[in-house]
Amino acid sequence: MHRVSGEAIIPKRLKIDENNLSIATELITCFEEARGCTQGELNRQLQELEGDTPDYRLKRGLAHLLKSMCEFEIVSPLEPQLLRERVFALSAQSIPSSHQSNQTLHTLALQMSQELAQEVLAEQIRSGLYADLAENRIMTQFDVPTPENLLHRYNLSQVQGVFYRASHLTLNAHRNVPGEYKLLFRYLKLFQLMAYIEGDADHGFTITVDGPTSLFNPSTRYGLAIAKLIPALLHVTKWSLSATLQTRDFYTNNWKTGRFSLDSDCGLVSHYPPGKPYDSMLEAAFADRWDSLKTDWVLEREVDLIPIPGSVMIPDFRLVHPDGRTFLLEIVGYWRPEYLQKKFAQVRRAERNDLILAISERLNLEKAGVKLTDVPAKIIWFKDKLLPKAVLAALD
Amino acid sequence: MARTPTLTFDRGTLIVHPPPRGKAWVNYATWDDRIEKFRIPAIDYRSLVEALQAEGASFVDQAKAFDPLELVPILEMEPYLHQTEALTAWKQAGRKGVVVLPTAAGKTYLAQLAMQSTPRSTLIVVPTLDLMHQWYAQLKTTFPDAEIGLLGGGSRDRTSILVATYDSAAIHAESLGNRYALLIFDECHHLPTDFNRVIAEYAIAPYRLGLTATPERTDGKHADLNILIGAEVYRKTAEELAGNALAKHEVVQIKVKLSQQERLRYNQLIQLRNGFLRESKISLGSLKGWQMFVQASARSQAGRRAMLAHREAKEIALGTDGKLRILANLIAEHYPERTLIFTADNATVYRISQELLIPAITHQTPVKERHEILTKFREGEYKSLVASHVLNEGVDVPAASVAIILSGTGSAREYIQRLGRILRKGKDKDKFALLYEVVAEDTSEEGTSLRRRGEQGSRGAEEQRSRGAEGKARQLEIVPSTTIYGVSGNVTKRVADAPGEWGSDNSEETED
Repeated sequence: MHRVSGEAIIPKRLKIDENNLSIATELITCFEEARGCTQGELNRQLQELEGDTPDYRLKRGLAHLLKSMCEFEIVSPLEPQLLRERVFALSAQSIPSSHQSNQTLHTLALQMSQELAQEVLAEQIRSGLYADLAENRIMTQFDVPTPENLLHRYNLSQVQGVFYRASHLTLNAHRNVPGEYKLLFRYLKLFQLMAYIEGDADHGFTITVDGPTSLFNPSTRYGLAIAKLIPALLHVTKWSLSATLQTRDFYTNNWKTGRFSLDSDCGLVSHYPPGKPYDSMLEAAFADRWDSLKTDWVLEREVDLIPIPGSVMIPDFRLVHPDGRTFLLEIVGYWRPEYLQKKFAQVRRAERNDLILAISERLNLEKAGVKLTDVPAKIIWFKDKLLPKAVLAALD
Repeated sequence: MARTPTLTFDRGTLIVHPPPRGKAWVNYATWDDRIEKFRIPAIDYRSLVEALQAEGASFVDQAKAFDPLELVPILEMEPYLHQTEALTAWKQAGRKGVVVLPTAAGKTYLAQLAMQSTPRSTLIVVPTLDLMHQWYAQLKTTFPDAEIGLLGGGSRDRTSILVATYDSAAIHAESLGNRYALLIFDECHHLPTDFNRVIAEYAIAPYRLGLTATPERTDGKHADLNILIGAEVYRKTAEELAGNALAKHEVVQIKVKLSQQERLRYNQLIQLRNGFLRESKISLGSLKGWQMFVQASARSQAGRRAMLAHREAKEIALGTDGKLRILANLIAEHYPERTLIFTADNATVYRISQELLIPAITHQTPVKERHEILTKFREGEYKSLVASHVLNEGVDVPAASVAIILSGTGSAREYIQRLGRILRKGKDKDKFALLYEVVAEDTSEEGTSLRRRGEQGSRGAEEQRSRGAEGKARQLEIVPSTTIYGVSGNVTKRVADAPGEWGSDNSEETED
């Protein structure tokens, strides 16, 4: 649900106030009480709750989110599929009618009572015939959210809904913690999106997100993937974005372009798990050791992105001196050959002279097919742990 | 040393790098800043490769991941004349294009002929799970040694012959795009939607065959089939093939009166709704009017009540007990002839199934069970079958000779395809098919039924315009129930009429 103001689209946002919280509570209670009932019964309860008030869409939206937190299962003493086979085989032997149906069910109830050595009623057969239908399934589990969380999820999904119609996304990103960036790019890759990165640390980065075929025409094909990216983006500290939307005009049915903006102060709450602050123990230990070192160089977690055609490199640390000098530090302690090949190809293509690579001596680079001769970065070798002193030596 | 230009496939597109000599390729390529290489839409693969070859440019094709196949059919049937003609027309058009044949005219067999004459990895796209399994079963029988798989309904095979639903093929379009040389689109009028078209657009397949009985779409998008598959290469209508490959049929409409109570309630509800529509100046004649009604119902209590009234009225018109009584009579009359029952909504399907103990098929029916039910119906163990719209398209039920439509939607396509299903020619050469349409009298449904038969209903101006369009008129002629088969399309039988009369006087007329 949204309204339109000029080219901009404003999705519906629920205030976390008493009124909305009470609606959320009401629905959550309805679900809690429906434990052990059929989905059809739950739907009837929800419909009653909707009543004839015009805000049914809000309630339906909240109920939809709640259903995704439930599990419904088939509960039946007799396997419905087998039951149907027997019922229909028997009923096909005579001309169908309501009267004949009763007779068929009674005949079968008698047969089955004998087979199973327990009483089976005709009515049980009739009601068990379709116990596997979605509406006849029983709610067995419900992960109860707090009313606040439900409203947060609602607000987020309203915003996500806008992105379904997005053809591409332009992100303005600033220096951020690598873990946050890495999480974002991991999701970007997971959802098969492409990113084009421009700019530098002083002016900020522009990241354009779309897909391979976006080059030829603006397509909403990637809208769903972009929408799924938003909760990951919410974990990044400083950003703003603008999305281009393709919508159909209500009257002319022609495509028209719309716009949607959002930034890190939007107040939306992500339900994706946050990224880890450090990729490895190696990095965490290094940062700890640096803190106990006396030097003017400051170790920062908020790094620059290094754009590379078709990809991006996110270094682990940034080293800043009060006199203005800066370096980017990347720790290579990982050992999969393909990873190493990719990493060094990236470093080569980055063409940066302010990059320091700290490489573990345990890595068999030759075996991985990596030559270090044409790598533009400064290289530090380390054994088990990377000592801050070794890095300092490379800086001066 | 300059490297040889290489063509690679990337998620629905082609990348050519380094740039080849000559300029033929330039027309297709767009510079992509994101990767600093040239990119080309996958659908242009064939034209691009042909252009490069024409210029004698050297290049490496790493894009294509399809292979030649050895397709040895164990069963060869004598093709009908229209099948041979259609195959020739398609081959002459460069193995690209759409063939329009009525349902039951042997489109599947035509597709098999096309596969045999183009033996390469093939992707077959179908609209429903039923059709998916039907194609699968048929291909398995014809080509027992070939590697055949399914995509959709829980299956995710990766085989050189793959049968997929439109939904699944569209979702996986990026990864399927370079793996098949021949694409066959069954019921190809499903292709030109915003969601489905990527199956064709993201594919490099040089050979494409579209099959349908009704290519025309109300939104006019059928023109896109020219780009996505190829131009129409062959068309035959039902009357051109009648008596040759199809069974004869007749249509009987039965009107059901609402009970006094239902009538009272129905009128009340319609009054409530119309009052609101008048006040808010909304006319339901068009889709637009309907959208406005939906919006209004979310804005005010009166609107919401009008919408609820509309729904209840519709339910009364669709699911009257009277209809179910008629249904029981019709089934009894034709027992043990194989009878198909169609309804528009699942609730009615299950109501009938539970009340008369007749096997049901809806989208919720598990795949294996669906297959078993259809098999038992075909073999005669089950005499009747009730289904919602899932059986709409091309599911092969050759044994059925009677179809009963209890309540349907107003689209002409559905009507023709439902008819087509019982028209399938079985072993019986003189098979005669009967179609009953049961509607409630004096309700909105009558309008639907008129529309279904392609007659001019008193509908909004917009719709009349679309009917006036040439393609539409043609589509509706496919099954002309009046002139060709000598039975009036307007035969209206009352419930009270003696049931024996329906068949007897009409079938006499049809004999000549």
